[in-house]
Amino acid sequence: MSVTSRTGAETGPDRPAPARRRAVPLWAIVAGPLVAAAVLLLILVRADPLSRLQRAAPLDAVAVERTVLDPGVIRLQVRNDGTADVTLAQVTVDDAFWQHTAEPRTLGRLDTGTVIIPYPWEEGLPLRIALLTATGVLVEHEIEAATLTPDLGTSALGDYALAGVAIGVVPVALGLLWLPALRRARRGWLRFFLAFTLGLLAFLLAETTREGLEQAGEAPARLLGVELFAGGLLVVVAAIAWLSHALSARAGEAGPGALGLAYLIALGIGLHNLGEGLAVASAVATGEVALGTALLVGFAAHNTTEGLAIASPLGTTASPVARHLVALALVAGGPAVLGAWVGAFAVTPAGAALAFGVAAGAIASVLWAVGRALGADGGLDGPVAGGFAVGVAVMYATGLLAA
Amino acid sequence: MRDRRELAEPGRRRFLTRLGMAGGAGGAAVLGRGVVAGGAETAGPDHDGGTPVHGAMDHGGLGTVGTVDHARNGFDPSAILTDFDGGAVSRDAAGRTVREYEIVAFPRRIEVAPGVFFEAWTYNGRVPGPTIRATEGDRVRITFRNGSPHPHTMHFHGIHPAEMDGVPGAGEAQPGETFVYDFVAEPFGTHLYHCHSSPLKSHIHRGLYGAFVVDPPGGRPPAHEMVMVLNGFDTDFDGSNEVYAANTVAFAYVDRPIRLRAGELQRLHLVNVTEFDPVNSLHLHANFFQLYRTGTALTPSELTDTVTMGQAERHMLEFTYRAPGRFMFHAHQTEFVELGWMSFFEVT
Repeated sequence: MSVTSRTGAETGPDRPAPARRRAVPLWAIVAGPLVAAAVLLLILVRADPLSRLQRAAPLDAVAVERTVLDPGVIRLQVRNDGTADVTLAQVTVDDAFWQHTAEPRTLGRLDTGTVIIPYPWEEGLPLRIALLTATGVLVEHEIEAATLTPDLGTSALGDYALAGVAIGVVPVALGLLWLPALRRARRGWLRFFLAFTLGLLAFLLAETTREGLEQAGEAPARLLGVELFAGGLLVVVAAIAWLSHALSARAGEAGPGALGLAYLIALGIGLHNLGEGLAVASAVATGEVALGTALLVGFAAHNTTEGLAIASPLGTTASPVARHLVALALVAGGPAVLGAWVGAFAVTPAGAALAFGVAAGAIASVLWAVGRALGADGGLDGPVAGGFAVGVAVMYATGLLAA
Repeated sequence: MRDRRELAEPGRRRFLTRLGMAGGAGGAAVLGRGVVAGGAETAGPDHDGGTPVHGAMDHGGLGTVGTVDHARNGFDPSAILTDFDGGAVSRDAAGRTVREYEIVAFPRRIEVAPGVFFEAWTYNGRVPGPTIRATEGDRVRITFRNGSPHPHTMHFHGIHPAEMDGVPGAGEAQPGETFVYDFVAEPFGTHLYHCHSSPLKSHIHRGLYGAFVVDPPGGRPPAHEMVMVLNGFDTDFDGSNEVYAANTVAFAYVDRPIRLRAGELQRLHLVNVTEFDPVNSLHLHANFFQLYRTGTALTPSELTDTVTMGQAERHMLEFTYRAPGRFMFHAHQTEFVELGWMSFFEVT
């Protein structure tokens, strides 16, 4: 009965089949596989099908997600990274059993706990902390150079904000000052610089992916850091695809236009710079001040070229863009401030992996948009190939400063 | 001075915070900020329900948290200290004293520090195994049964026939098998026995060892006698020890100091079986001891306050405390001290 009636409806004059297919919104098509993938991940994690092949009891696994050093006190945020409950029995600091509290002492799967150790640690010296579990597994955590964890005071917030401005907003704004020069450039040169942007974005995508995978490696294995990174990336690619599709459909254009492209580039670069702020601040917050300073100088040099990248599509338009320049600098550079705050006070490796995934997704989307714009405007000619190569090379050279 | 006053106070928390070895006041002040207020759970399910140690945080400092359940372990370091086993005594046809023992090897999960468990291999369920004591010239007859899934032996340090050596091929008991070790105890001294099955390192560090004390035929002057086996535990099986102790349990004699009487002669049989680390040692505070190397002479070889031993080296120490007080003794590898091999004599 039902088959007959449905056939009748599809062939009816008031409901043509093609219209029905278009009625399924784009977001559902994009989100459907993502939801299915998430469900699959959940099933795999819950069922742990390979666990039947393991005959001995699983080893205790504990990850130290965050360390806070206050005067005379070490605080650890720990997470059970194994498949079974784990009981924290004792704590050693620099190979000495030490008094502490652990709350809770027994952690269920993926549970977090807090270990508080009153210890007369010394500024600038390494600390080797180990958690001895009930089954005798030693979980070691090394602090390379002990230093006070900054309080959430306004002066520290200000200092980290300054670092974010120094690596983000200012260099990008300086790079945007190339716009008048770009406006006088001939078409070939404009294509060269847009391709330069493409090379820059390709480099940033590689860099962000490496950072994200590094963070994923440091995250508790059970939090699936790589999947967090990949998930963040895919969701953002899907979201931006939907956004630009919706925008261009409304504007009746094929692409986002010169100004739109500039904002899209600024957004991708901005999300990437969130990661850079995070990297600088977490290096400083974990006592690696020298590394933090190197990153600061390197990122500042690196990001001046990002200003040029954002300015490139604007070279083709003559319309006044002065107020947009300020907004573009803030979109591309501002997130570095946010990243610095998060990195200094609250970041865990798993959170960082997700953040880098989001940044990589944004960069990949922008890469695609810029590539399409160039492709529609003449394809892969000499200036484009040259610009792309120079973009990658310049980013590599300035990246060495931060390596 | 402050440390001593804290030590003398009864009923205060039991571990090394008594020593005042860490700047405790600093920790207390910081925690006064209220971050650990009340709720911190310090005695988990594996922490011997006994003493809650919330007070531990008040001083901060060196030491473990919680207490070891000696009853569940099936042995107590405070009892092992003075537990000398002379065996079932009889005489053979020739009129020689015969000491018979029954020893079973079996695996047992033991608590080596509060809440920290180690899958030990034991002689008669304890680590170290029974302290076997005989007089030089006695016949020792040990019925050794292997109740574990691995082959084991009892290899005695002493003079005996090759077939009684307790090594693979000569006196090794396969799982479920029994072997009878039968030899004459000689020479007199402080000795040891241990399993010699392969892999040797593994069979020793898992807990198959004990003291073997042979007295001289004429005996020794009366004294309060003790035995301490210095050992370590590689709880994560990575080839280095996580826990050190005298007689197995970390800080056992800090938790319950060994009670001695002033003016009384003390005789300590000290055996080092520590695996993975090349040496272990003992340092006596505020006193000196007469050292009888390997215990094989009637006159001391040295007056000192520190002795260092490789694995299987062992000595007999004699000393007397002149006045009451609490006296520390420990390894003089400070790493071992802070990982459990730290003790006290309480002299009254």
